Amino acid sequence: MTSIAVTDLHKTYAGALTPSLEGLSFSFPEGKIVGLLGPNGAGKTTTISILCGLVKAGSGKVMIFDIPQDAARREAIKRIIGIVPQQIALFPQLTAKENLCYFGNLYGFKGKALKQKIDHYLEIFGLEKAADKEVGKFSGGMKRRTNIIAAILHEPRLLILDEPTAGVDVQSRTMILQFLKEYNQKGNSVVYTSHLLDEAQQICEDVAIIDEGKLVVQGNPTDLIRQHPACRNLEDVFLHYTGHAVRD
Amino acid sequence: MLRLIATIRKEWLLLLRDKAGLALLFAMPIILITVMALIQDAPFKDYQEVKFDILTVDNDQGRLGRYIREGLGNSGQFNVIDSLNDQPVSETTAKALIGEGHYKISIIIPKGSTAEIVSNANKIVNDISKRMGIPVQLPVKAIAADSLAVQLYFDPAAKKAFKSAIHQALDNFLTQVQTDLLLERIQLQLKSKDSTATDTFPAIKLKAVGLQETNLGKNQEIDVISNSVQHNVPAWSIFAMFFIVIPIAGNMIREREDGSLVRMKLIPGNYLSILSGKLLFFVGICVVQFYLMIVIGIYVMPLLDLPALQLGVNHLAGFITAVTIGVTATAYGILIGTLFKTPNQALNFGAISIVILSAIGGIWIPLEIMPENIQMIGRLSPLSWGLDAINDVYLRNGNVSFILPDITRLLACGLVMLGIAAWVEQRRIS
Repeated sequence: MTSIAVTDLHKTYAGALTPSLEGLSFSFPEGKIVGLLGPNGAGKTTTISILCGLVKAGSGKVMIFDIPQDAARREAIKRIIGIVPQQIALFPQLTAKENLCYFGNLYGFKGKALKQKIDHYLEIFGLEKAADKEVGKFSGGMKRRTNIIAAILHEPRLLILDEPTAGVDVQSRTMILQFLKEYNQKGNSVVYTSHLLDEAQQICEDVAIIDEGKLVVQGNPTDLIRQHPACRNLEDVFLHYTGHAVRD
Repeated sequence: MLRLIATIRKEWLLLLRDKAGLALLFAMPIILITVMALIQDAPFKDYQEVKFDILTVDNDQGRLGRYIREGLGNSGQFNVIDSLNDQPVSETTAKALIGEGHYKISIIIPKGSTAEIVSNANKIVNDISKRMGIPVQLPVKAIAADSLAVQLYFDPAAKKAFKSAIHQALDNFLTQVQTDLLLERIQLQLKSKDSTATDTFPAIKLKAVGLQETNLGKNQEIDVISNSVQHNVPAWSIFAMFFIVIPIAGNMIREREDGSLVRMKLIPGNYLSILSGKLLFFVGICVVQFYLMIVIGIYVMPLLDLPALQLGVNHLAGFITAVTIGVTATAYGILIGTLFKTPNQALNFGAISIVILSAIGGIWIPLEIMPENIQMIGRLSPLSWGLDAINDVYLRNGNVSFILPDITRLLACGLVMLGIAAWVEQRRIS
C-alpha cells in the first residue's frame, strides 16, 4: 500500500500567470520516511496543501492510504494525517500546555487521557519544564518542538512536516530527527520537506525531487547518488536535476 | 460541544493575557460613557434648567407690564432684568446691549398699552351692554392709538426656534391680560345692573379645558429621555459593543497569519463549531460589557451629580436586546476579520466604519434632530436598531414583541454578515 499516491496533479492559482503544479505524479510506500524536495517555488507547499485538503487541485488524483482525497472523505483523511506547517501554528499568548490542550480538545481528547498524552510528548521533546510558559517566550527550537507535538496528539498514520528543522539549533534538530525515526519505527509514515539536503539524505528512505510543478526524479538517496558518478551527495543530485539558477 | 467549550476557554485565556484588549473592551467604554454623559449634561440641561436674561423696558407702568414681568419670571426660564446699575433700563441701552450680544432678548412695553387694552375692553362691554339694554357706559378713549405693539429685540445670533418660543410665550401673556381685563369689565357691568348681588357674584371662569402632560414610562417622570445619562449610557454602550470588531478582526487575522487557523482547519470536525465558540464568547463579552455600562449608569453617574439610568420594567427584553446587539457586532467583526488580509486594513476600516455607523445611527445625537435624508440613511445603521430597541425597553416599557422588528433586523443583519464571511472563506479554499 502507498501512503501517498499523486497522479497528474495540476493547479493554477487564481490570477497566477504560471501553474504551480503541472502534471505532478509520484507515490510513496507506506511506513517509510520520505522526502519531498525541491527548490523555492517548485510546488512543495501547494502539494502538501492539496494532500491535506486545504487547497483544491485543478485536476488530478490524490490518494492517502488508498483513500481518495475528495470532499466526501476529507474528514476521514484528516483523522489519519498530521501536518506540521512551516509556520509555528500555535497561539503565542498561551502556554505550551494550554495550546496542546486546546488542539487535543479539537481532536476530541479530554480529561486525564489528554493530560497524560500531553505530558508524555512534552517529556519526549524535553519541554516538561517549560510546559507552563507562554509559547511566545520560547526559543525557536522549543517552538518547533511544540509545533510537532500539536500535530501528533492524535497519533496520525501519516505525518507530513514542512521544514520542521528550519532555524533550530543542532540539539533541537537532532532531537526532532531522532523522534521522526522513532515515530516511523512504530509503523507510521513520515513525509518531510526540507532545504537541508544532508538531513534528508540522513533520514529519508525515498525522496521525490520536484521542480516547476513536475517530478524530476524519485528514488532512494543512496541509489540516486550512485547513479550519478559526478555526485558525491544528495545536494549534488539535487543541483544536477534542478540546475544552479537562483529561484524567486 | 467539546470543540465549542474548548474554543470559548481558549478565547478567554487569550483575552486575559491581552491587557490592551481588556482595556479596550472594558476600561475605555467606562471612560467614554462617563465623559460623554458629563460633557453632554449641559446641552441637555439647556432646554430644562438654564435661564435666559431678558431685558425689560416698561414704558407703560401698568397692568400689562406687570403681567408680562410676573409671567416671564414665574415661567422659570427667564430672569427679568428691568434695571442695570440701579438705573431703569432704557430702550436705547437695551437695543445697544442686544446688538453687542450681551443679552439675547429685550422687551419694550409701550407707554399707554394697558390703557389701550382697558379702553378696548370697555368698548366691547359697552356694545354688549347696549344690546342687553343696560344703560351704564364705561369710558372709552376717543381715538384708539394706531398699531400699539410690544416691541421685541433679539440677539442676531438667536436661533429661529428660540425666537418662536419667546413670541409664543409673550403672545399668551398679551392674550391673557386682554381676556382678564375684558372679563373684569363684564363682571363690573353685570354688578352695576344687579346691585343686590354685590358680594356673591360668581367669578367668570373662562378656562374650561386645560393641558396636562403625563408620562407613559414606568416612573412617571417627564423628560427622562432628555437627560444626558439616559441617552449617553445606552448609546455609547452600543458603540463600545460594536468596537468588539477590533479585537475579533485582529484575533482572526493573527490566527490566519501565524498558521493556527490552518491547524484548526486541519483537525477533523466542522470549523463552524470553532467559529460558533468564538461567536458565543464574544457575544458574552458584549453582554458583560453592556451590563457593566448599565451598572455605571445606575450607580456611578449619580455620584457625579448626574441622574441615574432608568431601566424600564422588562429586563428580559433588555437582555435579549443586549444579546442581539452582541451577535450583530460579533458577526461584523468576523466579517471584517475574514475580508481583510492585514490587521492594519481591518482595524482602520473597522474603527472608521463604526464611527460612521454610530454617527448616522443616532449614537452621538438623537436621530430625530438630524436632516430627513440623513435620518433615512441612519435608519439603515444596525446601531440605530439597537438604540431604538433599548429606548423602547427602557423608556417605553416595551416587551419582547414590542422590540421584535428591531431585534429581527439586527439578527438578520448578523446572519447575512456571517453568510458572506462563510462564502468568502469557502472561495479561498476553492
